[in-house]
Amino acid sequence: MRRMVAENPVVVMGRRGCCMCHVARRLLLGLGVNPTVCEFGDEAAGEAVALVEEVAVVEAGGGDVRRLAMLPVVFVGGRLLGGLDRLVAVHITGELVPILKEAGALWL
Amino acid sequence: MNFGKDQLQQDMMELYVGYLENNIPHLEHSRSSTSSFATSRRMGIYEPNHQIGMWEDSFKADSSQITCASTIVETDMKLDYMAELEDIPRKGLGQPKKYDQETSHSSDKVLRRLAQNREAARKSRLRKKAYVQQLESSRLKLAQLEQELEQARQQAVYIGGHLRETNLGLSGSVNSGIAAFEMEYGHWVEEQNRQTSDLRTALQAHASDVELHMLVENGIRHYDNLFRIKAITAKSDVFYLISGMWRTPTERFFLWIGGFRPSELLKVVSSQLDTLTEQQKSAVSGLRQSSQQAEDALSQGLERLQETLSETLTCDPSGTPGVTNYMEQMANAMGKLEALVSFVTQDGCLIASMVMNMHLPHKADLLRQQALRQMYSILTTHQAARGLLALGDYFQRLRALSSLWAARPHEPT
Repeated sequence: MRRMVAENPVVVMGRRGCCMCHVARRLLLGLGVNPTVCEFGDEAAGEAVALVEEVAVVEAGGGDVRRLAMLPVVFVGGRLLGGLDRLVAVHITGELVPILKEAGALWL
Repeated sequence: MNFGKDQLQQDMMELYVGYLENNIPHLEHSRSSTSSFATSRRMGIYEPNHQIGMWEDSFKADSSQITCASTIVETDMKLDYMAELEDIPRKGLGQPKKYDQETSHSSDKVLRRLAQNREAARKSRLRKKAYVQQLESSRLKLAQLEQELEQARQQAVYIGGHLRETNLGLSGSVNSGIAAFEMEYGHWVEEQNRQTSDLRTALQAHASDVELHMLVENGIRHYDNLFRIKAITAKSDVFYLISGMWRTPTERFFLWIGGFRPSELLKVVSSQLDTLTEQQKSAVSGLRQSSQQAEDALSQGLERLQETLSETLTCDPSGTPGVTNYMEQMANAMGKLEALVSFVTQDGCLIASMVMNMHLPHKADLLRQQALRQMYSILTTHQAARGLLALGDYFQRLRALSSLWAARPHEPT
């Protein structure tokens, strides 16, 4: 999983068949990004969440840890962006496109 | 007042028993057994109707209060009977000798006993009357309550009738949650109308930016409130929220995942803005585009959800090709439906779908909230005030249109 995140500019991680995962993917596709999708079955989902939370702690520098109880989550440029809410919020404020460009996921 | 034969006999029983209680100490019995005791005594000892005449005759000389047996005042009869009890034939009584002794020894004591018995009998009659009256009033109250309950039920059926058509009724508490939400939403609309007119007044009066800022803040917070109560209700009644039955018909016409499209909201807000700077214009344009993209993504997510649920409901787990057993297939489908309704399923896909279904309207509301907030951050206070006014105005007109439409004269078909 870590490898996938590191190697791909945009990764969407979620449960198999989850429609929120679909929303995240469609949004990114609509922007011209082709996200790598990583889907988990039920058994692996718990593990995935734990791993993601681990990453979140590292990213936040051990300070303010955002609770990521829900999949899907999005990684951009190897870094954790957040869940679907964060993705949409960041997009509405206009910050998403610059971030995507920076990660090399988007070309003008 | 009606003192029929029964009443007389009853009184006599009570009096007689009272007398016996006083004079035969070892006779202990509760009130409830009184009647049976008295009855057996009465049956065994005398025939009241037969003996009345006898007693009357023998006492005519002594008593001045004797009247006709058939139309007798209670107290008079009492006196007669009490007087006669002394002369009751001995057969069937416990201790006849005792009676004789008492009679012959002290008439004062006897008279006092008689008075006591009268008193006891009267008291018991009064108690009985009070009890019966209490029963009667309770019965009246009960009838009243039942009537009220029936009326309330009928009203609930009438109001809830169209609700039941539209909500899936997944839990027992559906209607109470819905009723609470509808009430809160009603208050919300009233408050919104108030705020809209305040905005109009303030803008027309060229209020200061400080004042407008406060009104704008209130307005934004008010929309936050709506999203908040929707989120609470979505936990239990998500299908009801999505159905939009809590909105007027014209509002419902524009329904998108339980509310207005964010793009629509932004369009209304910006319709009244003609004083935008170039920077603002491009920001607004960018926002509308982003909002549209997010909206599309959510729409596609919703479609995907519908597909998933549909597949789950129609797929045959046995997978046997050429299964033509209709009943079997129906049973499978029913099983899936029940699983859907009861949330008890091993199919992770189904659980996830249902959970997500509850989140989708929330995501849509979140988008609405974020889009509005972002819009206001682009605008000046004055512009934001006009934007909010435009929004409030729009909804009011939409609702008014609903009422007009509902009240239009119909062509007979």
